[in-house]
Amino acid sequence: MVTLEKNIKSVKDKLPSEDIIVFEFDSLSGKRFAAIYADGIADKQLLGELVAKPLRAAKSDEKLEDIKKLLASPEVKDGGKIEDAVKEISDGNAVLFVDEEKEFFIIGLKNPPGRTVAEPPTQVAIKGPREGFTEDIKTNLGLVRKRLKSEKLHVKTLKSGKQSDTSVAIIYIEGVCPEGLPERIEREIASKQIDIVPDSSYISQFISKKPRSLFKRNGTAEKPDVFCAKISEGRVGIIVDGSPIALTVPYMIVEDFQTVEDYYQVSYRSTVLRILRLVSLVIGVFLPAFYVSAQLFKIQLIPYRLLLKISSSVSGLALSPSVEMFLTLFLLEVLIEASIRMPKYVGLAMSVVGALVLGDTAVQAGIISTPAIIIIAFSAICLFTTPDLVETTTTLRWVYLIIGGSLGPFGVVLFTAFLICYLVSEQTYGVPLFAPFAPLIKSDLHDSMVKANMYSLKTRPEVFKAKNKVRVKNK
Amino acid sequence: MSSKISVRQICFIMLIYTAVSKFILYPTQLSAESGRDLLFSALINFALQGAFVWAVSFLCSRTDKTFFALIEGTLGNIVARIVYGLFALFFIVCTIIPLFEQKLYVHAIFYDTIPSLLIFLPIFFFTVYAAYKGFENIGRCADICLPLFLLSMLLIFVMSLHEVRWDNFLPVFKQPSKVFQSSLASACRFAEPAFLLMFMGHFKYEKGDAAKITLSYIGGAVFVMLVLAAFYGIYGDLAQSRQFAISKISLFFPAIELLGRIDLIALYVLEIVMLFALVLNIQLAVHCIECCTGYKNRAVLSVAINAAFLIFIIVFDNNFNAINTIWSKWMWIVFLIFANAVPLSGWLMRRKND
Repeated sequence: MVTLEKNIKSVKDKLPSEDIIVFEFDSLSGKRFAAIYADGIADKQLLGELVAKPLRAAKSDEKLEDIKKLLASPEVKDGGKIEDAVKEISDGNAVLFVDEEKEFFIIGLKNPPGRTVAEPPTQVAIKGPREGFTEDIKTNLGLVRKRLKSEKLHVKTLKSGKQSDTSVAIIYIEGVCPEGLPERIEREIASKQIDIVPDSSYISQFISKKPRSLFKRNGTAEKPDVFCAKISEGRVGIIVDGSPIALTVPYMIVEDFQTVEDYYQVSYRSTVLRILRLVSLVIGVFLPAFYVSAQLFKIQLIPYRLLLKISSSVSGLALSPSVEMFLTLFLLEVLIEASIRMPKYVGLAMSVVGALVLGDTAVQAGIISTPAIIIIAFSAICLFTTPDLVETTTTLRWVYLIIGGSLGPFGVVLFTAFLICYLVSEQTYGVPLFAPFAPLIKSDLHDSMVKANMYSLKTRPEVFKAKNKVRVKNK
Repeated sequence: MSSKISVRQICFIMLIYTAVSKFILYPTQLSAESGRDLLFSALINFALQGAFVWAVSFLCSRTDKTFFALIEGTLGNIVARIVYGLFALFFIVCTIIPLFEQKLYVHAIFYDTIPSLLIFLPIFFFTVYAAYKGFENIGRCADICLPLFLLSMLLIFVMSLHEVRWDNFLPVFKQPSKVFQSSLASACRFAEPAFLLMFMGHFKYEKGDAAKITLSYIGGAVFVMLVLAAFYGIYGDLAQSRQFAISKISLFFPAIELLGRIDLIALYVLEIVMLFALVLNIQLAVHCIECCTGYKNRAVLSVAINAAFLIFIIVFDNNFNAINTIWSKWMWIVFLIFANAVPLSGWLMRRKND
């Protein structure tokens, strides 16, 4: 016969931490129970209401099956091994032991502290839904279910991280997503052993075939409407407990030129904005390098009158154009980094120091020129039109600046050709990174840099090779 | 059959790479040799090569074998390997003039003062990497190059065609013999049927594809003719002393004074396409050596071929004129064999195979 004390001891041996609470109570008939839970992540109030209250009121000496019926919680599972109990307690659920019984009940009372659903700060939309993912996987899955009520929606959960035991949910629509892809992703995640998985970016590297690449290998979504739209196109979604950023695979670069509002406004406007983003990105990456290489190697690139203005600004400068631009860009990167890390109340002072003192004084002192500041500022603004690509584009801007300053415009062109050659051959889970442009997929061009009317988007993207191709069907 | 490249991509290659490889010194050469009749001279070459392009693409409709398999099936594996070895040499020969042209062109349009040769040498980092990639990459690069090509050509034509004086072309056929002579001399710039021969068996042929490929080639020819027309139409008899035609035709656009050399932006974009056109020869050379030797490490082959080019360009840095003369005088025979005669022999081999 297994006594209650023995069960409690077994759990406490494995979880000796003080925040593991043992709540012992008796029924009216004298039967003894012990509920064990982790303080702070299990809902104590529900434990009292749904478990302790009905059991205390029990008058007869119930059997285990009858006790289960008395529990008012909708989420009750049977358990047998102490290891399972330890795992569930760590996960935020409560475990109920009954005296003289080896088996126990796992009661779903997980309620970790977290944010409420709010608009994500990085994907603000004027039109359309404002809900954003939170750090809680259950909330996030609920937000997805709320939008995708299809019986074909599948959710597979698995654990990742030896210490953190983080829940990871793989979400897809059967018949729409590429066959075998969810299983492949599951295998990739399961095969990676790491201590903790604090964020989805870890999973992002797990599922990437080239984790050291400068270029992204999966899409991200912070809003459930975007996430659901991507899943319904044929992608597989991944939600990680503790992260408000969901992942989507396969990924194509063109996704990052699309925003959620593109689908909620007139398609012509969306097309114009997408092209604007592309042009801005090109300007943002190339402008500093172009300016430096024009000054150093091909002065004809600059219009005559502008050249006169620039020459009056740069005359007397102590630094060469490339060093000057390098310094200005470095200053900008430092300002951006500091403004993100610094407490908000110091922010205003830092703006004054950064923009006025450093910028203005540096120009007056003849260290950097006004055109250099304008170019770097404009380049920075341009790059933020595609925020999801900023990590890549800011790095590329440095590379181009170094090449432009050393090899001139030919170096810039050569490196661009190299990048094209590299990017067109890259793919994520069989989908080319540059699709639908290389390889050219005519039908997918309707929702690429061009956003066609909703009725023109009759089929799902061909690149995913979905079984069920039809997206819009007029009855 | 492995379809590593699509017919659409082959069409793009025929359209854009055919054109851009003839934008640098070909117009100057034609202007010098046939004067105002340069369009006829080019037309002869394009018509002839167009016919061969059609013949090869039509051959693709009759067999799904690669050219290597075709030779192997008829004359045996050894002969097939030898032929592919010779083709590798041919593609290396095809690369030399465009490579030198690129060097001169880069120095002229990217720099105010002629820089050191060292500035040009990083091109080999690109060619090594690109040549190591296979047919799939060639096709996808062509997909990306098409919009770049069309946009830059549109800008260049908008900036240049209004300056063309059509009376510069009159009277025509003053010296007809020179037209044929210059056609022969510039034959070493036409290897498109050989390119197509290498793609044979690597794409899935569907009805009407031969016409599409040939029409694309004609499209490329039209672009070249337009550049030739603009170049000679603007400069007239002075054209023979003007190098790098594509960079010279848009110089007189009135807005340049206000906007700066915006034509250079188009030329830089076009340079990306030119780099891919140049590297196509090397990619095919790597492919042929791979088939010839059976050695599958493309990276090593690519490094070896590009190292040879690097040495060649360093040693013969100042001898472009001599090389160009040799190529113009003698190499047409080699081009006639590999770009025309051998592809035609494919028809005979197919019959024997059947």
